[in-house]
Amino acid sequence: MKQHLGRQVGVQKVEVSLRDGKVDITPKEDGRVDPAQILKATYDSGVSVAEMDMTVRGKIVKDENGNLTLQSLPNQLFVLAASDLSQSLAPLAGSGTQVTLRGQLYKKMEGKKKVDTAGPLKLVVQEIEKKE
Amino acid sequence: MKAAKSAMLLLFLSPLVPHSQAEIRHIEMRVEGMT
Repeated sequence: MKQHLGRQVGVQKVEVSLRDGKVDITPKEDGRVDPAQILKATYDSGVSVAEMDMTVRGKIVKDENGNLTLQSLPNQLFVLAASDLSQSLAPLAGSGTQVTLRGQLYKKMEGKKKVDTAGPLKLVVQEIEKKE
Repeated sequence: MKAAKSAMLLLFLSPLVPHSQAEIRHIEMRVEGMT
């Protein structure tokens, strides 16, 4: 799995802890890593993902449906799941303010064996690390 | 003319500038079934 993930676009380093079942991925500086692709590649290598968290920096914008979205370069959009924390970012929409967020992008549903990456992954904001 | 040249230069060089404002900083997963 480590080798398989290390071959994915935008991945610089993969660290695996067998004891904790934890996988840490350091993206390359070009930011071209695709979390949905990482998720799929992990399943393809024969293990199932219980959850996926990430730290991401970008601008808050509203998409065409009015959803709060984190726009991260190059051209990645993460819809923010509705919560008090994500709503606290609403005033920043369209302001150009860069925020750094830590959040959960995926959590395995009980009873589901296969990952569903067909739809966009929603980011559940867990912490607002920085506004600048 | 000078401004136009500078604008053209900026246009051509911008893809080469690192996207400092991009980005996913870190991804962490908890996995099951790893041996």
